[in-house]
Amino acid sequence: MGGVKGLRTDSVEGRPTEDAVLVERSRNGDQDAYGELVTRYQAIAARTAYVITGTAADAEDVAQDAFVKAYYALDRFRSGAPFRPWLLRIVANEAINRRKAAGRRPTVGLSVVEDRASGDTALSPEASALAHERREVVLDALRKMREEDRLVIAYRYFFDLSEVEMADALGVARGTVKSRLSRAIARLRAAMEGDQLHDA
Amino acid sequence: MTRERMSEQELDATLADLGERLAYPRPTRLADAVTARLREPRAGRWWDALRSPRYAFAPVFATLAVFALVIVLAMPGARAAASDFLHAWGIDIFRVPQVATPAVSPSPRSGLGALTTLADARVRAGFPVRVPNDPRLGTPDEVYRDGSDASGARQRISLVYGQRAGIPISHEPGVSVLVVEFRGAVDENLTGGKGVGPDTKIESLSVNGGRGMWLEGAPHLFFYRDASGNIQTETLRLAGNTLIWEQDGVTFRLEAQVSREDALRIAGSFR
Repeated sequence: MGGVKGLRTDSVEGRPTEDAVLVERSRNGDQDAYGELVTRYQAIAARTAYVITGTAADAEDVAQDAFVKAYYALDRFRSGAPFRPWLLRIVANEAINRRKAAGRRPTVGLSVVEDRASGDTALSPEASALAHERREVVLDALRKMREEDRLVIAYRYFFDLSEVEMADALGVARGTVKSRLSRAIARLRAAMEGDQLHDA
Repeated sequence: MTRERMSEQELDATLADLGERLAYPRPTRLADAVTARLREPRAGRWWDALRSPRYAFAPVFATLAVFALVIVLAMPGARAAASDFLHAWGIDIFRVPQVATPAVSPSPRSGLGALTTLADARVRAGFPVRVPNDPRLGTPDEVYRDGSDASGARQRISLVYGQRAGIPISHEPGVSVLVVEFRGAVDENLTGGKGVGPDTKIESLSVNGGRGMWLEGAPHLFFYRDASGNIQTETLRLAGNTLIWEQDGVTFRLEAQVSREDALRIAGSFR
């Protein structure tokens, strides 16, 4: 995995303690405390759902459903564990179930916002066009991938989750995160270069 | 379009770039939507709610409810006798052959919610709170409000009257009259249950122009169930004679060891 950037293994500073307090209060029926957790993680929850469902409307529904389900599952949440990956696991499950229930199409409609003002300004028109083309190629491949693979890639590259968080969010052993990621990247490349290796 | 193989660095950079540009949804008020849903009765999986600490006594009441239901099924006459006119506005009556002294006997104040003032209750109830204007009662000694602020749909106001001349004290020390008000007709999903023993007299009557019910005799117990089956724990009250009636979409419950005529007189004084 030489090309994969070093994975962070620490969790986000300051958050776990505070989350734990909010979780505890939520468990005791404090819905305002839970609302705070929702506000804190609504963005990443909706983004995670979007990576799987590929439509913004579905993703928002999924995120909302997931937060409601997570609330009622709080008693099964291990005290002291980080909340974010636990939540993301519920979000991902919900999103994948939604995709299946909707009669999963082979590709999802992930799209990009191309009219971003910043970012490309430092690039020459040629470099900008090349970057754009690469994004299209990669996005097209991502659309065709299995949800699980897309999720691994998103956690690592889009949301910058630590390795530990990824393991928790994916529900896998920590030692297998890297191999999962490298397999997902291999399948991404395969999808970019043709579909021959897609199911390998 | 050339499809030369990207280097690992190029792929990494492209993925990172892509991650920033995806057309993600941008939820802003998700917390409101979620907490609003948490306040709704939960469809279907009501047993999850029983895990909440708020329903610590739920198994007790659930068991009582099951017993009551089984007995009602065996005695269709009892059900027919009383439930028809009440079911329409959200109260189910179950007659049971015997009401055991409850193992869990919370004080009438427990589970009534937060202690508040009458003025505050009037502001926050979400429905017009009425108070008996009966000289024997005077003003309530304690006012409780239970429920969430935002929706108002499940607000419940309780008025507690301590010792009052001319009204026997209930078996709960220091309490002679309890009044509970909640918006019953608005929340159509709300169903209530009341288990009554064989010695309890049930009578349907008209109170303040609305339908009502008078329960008299042996102590009875209350349990309360919302549409999703969540059983409220703040159910056991004075277990005295009880008058229940509906008025302008609000359900009133008056519990006191008084005669039916007395209860009706007090009910008639609600302003």
